[in-house]
Amino acid sequence: MADVSPLEAEVAKLIVQTLNMKIDPAQIQPEQPLFGEGLGLDSIDALELSLAISQFYGYGIRSDDPEAVATFASLRSLCKSIEKNRTK
Amino acid sequence: MSFMNTAALLGPYHPDRVLAWGNGHPITYRRFLSEVATLADQLPEKPTVINLADDRYRFLVGLAAAMVRGQTTLLPPSRAPRALAAIAKEYNNSYCLADSQDTVEELHTYQIPKGEWSSVHNMSVPQIPVDHTAVVAFTSGSTGIPRPNPKTWGSLVAVARSTGVRLGLKTSDHMTVVATVPHQHMYGLEATIMLPIQHGMAFHVGRPLFPEDVRLALANVPSPRLLVTTPLHVRACATAPTRLPPMEFILSATAPLPVSLAKQAETLFQTSVYEVYGFTEAGSLATRRTVADETWHVLDGITLYQKSDRCYLQAPYLRESVSFPDAVSLQGPHRFVLHGRGGDIVNIGGHRVSLEDLNQKLNEIEGVQDGVFLLPDENGTSVTRLMAIVVAPGKSAEQILSTLRDVIDPVFLPRPLHLVANLPRNETGKLTREALLRLAHKLHEQDRHGS
Repeated sequence: MADVSPLEAEVAKLIVQTLNMKIDPAQIQPEQPLFGEGLGLDSIDALELSLAISQFYGYGIRSDDPEAVATFASLRSLCKSIEKNRTK
Repeated sequence: MSFMNTAALLGPYHPDRVLAWGNGHPITYRRFLSEVATLADQLPEKPTVINLADDRYRFLVGLAAAMVRGQTTLLPPSRAPRALAAIAKEYNNSYCLADSQDTVEELHTYQIPKGEWSSVHNMSVPQIPVDHTAVVAFTSGSTGIPRPNPKTWGSLVAVARSTGVRLGLKTSDHMTVVATVPHQHMYGLEATIMLPIQHGMAFHVGRPLFPEDVRLALANVPSPRLLVTTPLHVRACATAPTRLPPMEFILSATAPLPVSLAKQAETLFQTSVYEVYGFTEAGSLATRRTVADETWHVLDGITLYQKSDRCYLQAPYLRESVSFPDAVSLQGPHRFVLHGRGGDIVNIGGHRVSLEDLNQKLNEIEGVQDGVFLLPDENGTSVTRLMAIVVAPGKSAEQILSTLRDVIDPVFLPRPLHLVANLPRNETGKLTREALLRLAHKLHEQDRHGS
């Protein structure tokens, strides 16, 4: 777990709580894809997750943002976007 | 019905009016007709087409061009590769229309041109025979094979017109639709394609996902605006700290909208929230203003009746009476109250599927000896997901999930998928919901304490 930043651990917990997942947040690998084959999330999850992120970090995710696709690629990339755009 | 019996592709035709807004670029009705004629000339001579266009405008150009050529557009129930392949196999003389790299295995794919540089010709409005099968929508059947629901052009036009009358849509308003729903499903087709073209309205070509996307899409089209969406997005937009531009009203469908949420949205966005009720076999059939009325009012021309314990509806454009898939009680021939969704059909974030269909697909997987999908009781506000309990010695949950991913829509993928030694079947071999819920609870507790 040494290579997980405090924000990544926090967001992993947020993902598990928001999506009622039955896994330990520490099981989410930072570079593992969140959607499809990886963690298996879909667009409904993306929407739920975007709400939690806007509530916790004051960052409203947009699809037309050139970085949007990269944002949801993995826990690590999501945290990078949050770091950059957070207002709280 | 004589072959002379036709209905125009467009309700009123105002050539210079905007039909579609794409990234701030307006596309006029005149250009639309010109592009339809151009594409119609290029289409292959085949009876059926799968139109995968993501852009709402290009989907409509493909749909209209196919109709002009007397062809039928197939609306697959899902984008899962095997689901598309199954439709392509059944309708093997089909081709595919697309506006991206998407394609269907085994089918020849034609790109719908962007058309931005083509010259615009003055065209007259095509007349389409009312009994032409414009689209075939598929429902998840209990047999595991998608069941086709052919829709005539006449029925699509009738539903669009009666919905417009009910909502008080006036051609002079030139309203613009922004929609979060896909146009390849019946509700999306009816509310975001048919409603606009039959009432001289415009629409936004995209399909915003996040609340911030919805805000931008609305801001990028002129007022008056109409948001066509689902309870999922109403809740998302009401929860996010997003201020949406003014809207005339919001239209929600696919799942019941809680009254409290409708009230919250009406106050927050200073608008009216209406719900549409329908199902694939019948199309949209009733509306209500959620905050004002629990009762659903059927669209003009529809009559309800009850025979033994089933409720039916009939309409001039339906060949035969259709029974409700959900539990309803009638209040005379034109009003009803909805009690709940039918037992076998589940609705996840607006996507409907038959549990029996899912169970069949699960049990067809090699190595699966017994398995069942289960929808846990609703837990409050967030979307409740399906779970599955499976007997498959020697197989991992990941292996089963990976096979399922190919055959079912991702929203129906079970989470979690539990592997067990056997299912709690009773002496007659039946699985009761109670027994499954008890087992699910036990498995959940084991997971929490075990790892």
